[in-house]
Amino acid sequence: MNPFVRFILRRLAFLFLTFFIFSLIIFALPRAIPGNPLASLLYQIIQQAQSNPDLVKAVHKKLLEEFGMDKPIHIQLFEFFGRMLRGDLGTSIAFYPRKVVDLVLAYLPWSLGLLMPATITAWILGNLLGALAAYKRKTVTDNVFLTIFITLSQTPYYWLAMILLYTLAVVLKIFPLSGAYSRGMSPSLTLPFIIDMLHHYMLPFLSIVIGAIGGWAIGMRTMVIYELKADYVSFVDSLGLSDRKILQYVFRNSMLPQITGLAINLGLMLGGSLITELVFSYPGTGFLIFRALSTLDYPLIQGTFFLLVSTLLLANFLVDLIYAFVDPRVRTGYVGE
Amino acid sequence: MMPRIPRIIKELFKIKKLDISLAIFVGIILVGVLGPLLYPVSPFERVGRPESPPSASAPLGTDARGRDVLALVIGGIRNSLYIGIIAALIALSIGVIIGVIAGYKGGITDNLLMLMTDVVLVLPSILIMMLIAAYLKERNPIFVSLVIGVTSWPWVARAVRAQMMSLKAREFIYMSKIAGLRDARIIFEDLLPNMASYIFMAFVLLMSGAMIAEAGLSMIGLGVTRGISLGIILYWAQLFESVRRGLWWWFMPPGACLVALASSLLLLSTALDEYFSPRLKGG
Repeated sequence: MNPFVRFILRRLAFLFLTFFIFSLIIFALPRAIPGNPLASLLYQIIQQAQSNPDLVKAVHKKLLEEFGMDKPIHIQLFEFFGRMLRGDLGTSIAFYPRKVVDLVLAYLPWSLGLLMPATITAWILGNLLGALAAYKRKTVTDNVFLTIFITLSQTPYYWLAMILLYTLAVVLKIFPLSGAYSRGMSPSLTLPFIIDMLHHYMLPFLSIVIGAIGGWAIGMRTMVIYELKADYVSFVDSLGLSDRKILQYVFRNSMLPQITGLAINLGLMLGGSLITELVFSYPGTGFLIFRALSTLDYPLIQGTFFLLVSTLLLANFLVDLIYAFVDPRVRTGYVGE
Repeated sequence: MMPRIPRIIKELFKIKKLDISLAIFVGIILVGVLGPLLYPVSPFERVGRPESPPSASAPLGTDARGRDVLALVIGGIRNSLYIGIIAALIALSIGVIIGVIAGYKGGITDNLLMLMTDVVLVLPSILIMMLIAAYLKERNPIFVSLVIGVTSWPWVARAVRAQMMSLKAREFIYMSKIAGLRDARIIFEDLLPNMASYIFMAFVLLMSGAMIAEAGLSMIGLGVTRGISLGIILYWAQLFESVRRGLWWWFMPPGACLVALASSLLLLSTALDEYFSPRLKGG
């Protein structure tokens, strides 16, 4: 078999395995935990029956149907996978009768719109600053830079968000206090709305960028220091190649691990940015997850996590493939071409 | 006569990064440990008007229930450290055991264990933590540590395995094998001691990661259900809109302590790393 096809198949098998295990976790958690959280949720719903009997009955029926708690466990599992594969993630309780999929699709664009540009900006800046620090190693500049990188990398985005919100919005009043756009405006492609949106966008964006720079810079600094000691560097140095040219080569070689890092860390960043959204009341998935968690809306919790993690796993898989195409070392190492 | 200080300790203390990070870390630990003695104010009782700014009676002001923020922070440091240490120990044990077995045994055991490690590695740990914590009504510090510990070990397992593989190929291990020593003895007497500095660094990193993870879980409402931690104080501050209402003394100190604790640990491990791996040193 073509080694590259074999490589793809292996990664694909891994993708399905992780996907399967994650689905099992989602399926098993509400059923395995003592005290049966689902049953107590149903009980709560029945207790509220006086306030709005029809709605409560409908929710109760829907929940029973979706979780199928009255059926044997293996049938529940089959039905669960069947529904997941059909893209049916159930119905929310807190936002009844809206579907979980619709809710996530409504909130996800805000998160992605915030996360993607911020992550990529931080990644680029972090790599450049890290390379610079490595180039200046053994100087005061490097020590100062490294200390700043380390502190930033250990600063949660949301705390940075609190500090920025306090200084720039509360004290200096440069930026708005919350939300993704001003109250009274509705999303549209008009200039005033876009300006208003960007105005709201800056603080969440900045807090994620500043919070993420440190980690990338530390990684890049270490990588470049290692590379600078590689044999090929002393070789081309002895040939009289300019510092600038050498640094170019070193930078390119150090970038490759950073690219995989970018994919793996998207998951981490998503976790961190979820809470940042809370601080700014930004209407992204973090906000949705918080609502779901605080109202114990289990279908919504399961659904949002399912969608988020599936997306992440898929992104990881794609980056693996692209990486194998791009990096000759990986190509020969794993693919054997 | 004074006992002689080993040369390695003396050399280590000459590293400025290590001295600074240790000073910060120990300083904050002292605040947490000695704090209750020097500042005997209960973090759970109302001591003054709610939300009053720092004053002589309450150096860091009070929160929305009139509790003393300094007392809260002191208590928070203790619990955050406690969760950090327990979670790090759990993750370290899992990581080292899996790494050692995979690296030492090789073959199919290695393949299976690494497959398992990779699976846990690609699942976003903070999301998994949230998912598990969401189903628990009562969450004590041990449980929070457990949730953090079981999701954050994979990188340790991979790193320990790599170390194991390179050590295994050395001559002295070969000699022990020829001498007919049992696997367990080789692992405990020859292999693990050679990785001690490495394992210590992993512990330090796990601990700072765990303290940050605890704060994250708390912020989203999934922290400990009873008692305080730095994350719980931040959660309350967030819940009561302390930022938008300008109550800086409420959210700044717990966050600053958390960042100082976590970054001093990372700086410590960086300093040790530079000392122990010659490739990173100067040049």
